[in-house]
Amino acid sequence: MSQRQSYAVGTGLFIALGFAALGYLATQTTSVANSSRGPSYTVEAHFANIGQLKERAPVKVAGVRIGQVQSIVLDPGKETADVKLSIDKRYDQIPDNSVATIFTSGLLGDQYVGLQYGNSKKSLADGGTLALTRPAQQLEEMLGKFFGAGGVADNLGGSYSVKGRFTNVGSLSVGAPVKMAGVAIGTVQSIQADPVKLDAEVTLSIDKRYDQIPDDSAAAVFTSGLIGTQYVAIQPGGSPDMLKNGDELVLTQSAMQIEDLIGKFLVSGSPSAKPADGGKTDGDKH
Amino acid sequence: MSAAMKNDNIVVRSLAQIGDCALFLLRMLAAVPRSMRHWRETVRQLWFVGAMSLIIIMVCGLFVGMVLGLQLYDVLSIFGGTSATGTVVAIAIYRELGPVVTALLFAGRAGTSVTAEIGLMRATDQIAAMEMMAVDPIAYVAVPRFLAGVIAMPLLACVFCALGIFGGHLVGVSWLGIDNGTFWSNMTATVEVVKDVINGVIWKSVVFGIVVSLIAVFQGYTTPPTSEGVAYATTRTVVASSIAILALDFVLTAFLM
Repeated sequence: MSQRQSYAVGTGLFIALGFAALGYLATQTTSVANSSRGPSYTVEAHFANIGQLKERAPVKVAGVRIGQVQSIVLDPGKETADVKLSIDKRYDQIPDNSVATIFTSGLLGDQYVGLQYGNSKKSLADGGTLALTRPAQQLEEMLGKFFGAGGVADNLGGSYSVKGRFTNVGSLSVGAPVKMAGVAIGTVQSIQADPVKLDAEVTLSIDKRYDQIPDDSAAAVFTSGLIGTQYVAIQPGGSPDMLKNGDELVLTQSAMQIEDLIGKFLVSGSPSAKPADGGKTDGDKH
Repeated sequence: MSAAMKNDNIVVRSLAQIGDCALFLLRMLAAVPRSMRHWRETVRQLWFVGAMSLIIIMVCGLFVGMVLGLQLYDVLSIFGGTSATGTVVAIAIYRELGPVVTALLFAGRAGTSVTAEIGLMRATDQIAAMEMMAVDPIAYVAVPRFLAGVIAMPLLACVFCALGIFGGHLVGVSWLGIDNGTFWSNMTATVEVVKDVINGVIWKSVVFGIVVSLIAVFQGYTTPPTSEGVAYATTRTVVASSIAILALDFVLTAFLM
């Protein structure tokens, strides 16, 4: 009997332990742990762009979690997102002119709403609106700003097209920048193989601002860095006449193939070294 | 069974095994109401396959969590993403490692002993004796062990997962210095109850519990009544369970994702 009792007690303990573990997993390690406990109040914020913000994303002040994103909907009739923030009742001293910003935790982390306090004496009330918001920073935009100087020219002033013929464009792609003196002055509009002349016809779209380019300028396909993207460089000539829309650049220099370069490098001098000489005597000759 | 044994064609033999197994499952399910009289036997088996497996499950869970924490910290530090260690440990354990490793350990620890025990009962004619005494061996021997396995598996998987998280926390936070708050907040921000805990841990381990227990009881019950037969049956339990667990894991993941 006592044996059977100990079985029963041990089994009961085992089941209790299992359910305790389940309860722990479900409530302490999952998003359930984040669901706001206790009373909260809701405020609205309108963002021009929420990026990757998701519902239940944290709302933080000075890095401390004070609530979560309750819902995200598109404002009817407008191009802004209406984000409802559910904020813990304990934090009811938020100035009503605080700024709501969408931040990213780390470079690849999730996004959250950060509040920066304003100087107003009045506090946000339930149903209030945060008027000052800053949208999510799109990584693409930031990178664009960062690398953009000399990247792609903005085509605000209109553009004109010139053509160039290359025997080899390498991996030049449509949209690649056209640069002169390292500054982007336009983009590659189209690349087509000419079925008759058997070369590549590249159409360059050049900003109207740069209309003083001599018509005997040369175009070359260059690579930015060793493994960078390829672009078209314009090397100005000396002619008094300027390039016009529809003109063709006569002098072109094709893309350098890195295989060719390496080949030239390695093969130069090799014709003299005959394979029959063998490896050992080779060193003595030089 | 006997008809299948005579046939040499491996395809036909495997099909017959699967069919026998399915029919055996139906017989057990039909015997569940009758076996309620022997509920004390079910409790005793639950003690044997569940509570007695706790130590190995806990130790293995702890080490799996620890090694995950260590490996992930190492890889994630390349990307400066060590704060995601807790998240990835939790998701990896909940969705895959928890139920699968628990089921494999369960098959090795509990499944084999169930097979060997029932097989020896068969070999020593205890089962025949029960039938003589008008005790239904399915209801008294097979069903309690089957039910105990089905109940024990999810509970063991939960314990495994909890210890795994603890192990990951131990390595990540206590040894490697990830911030404690970051560890937990990233985990709780990403892990979901339904998708990860219910679908990942509970459903998978219930299915694994059914499959492993069925294979173990079936192999024991249908073993040839020789010492060699018991040895083969025990081996087959481990092999068949492992294959079934890993194959079903893929199918379940595809359905539950």
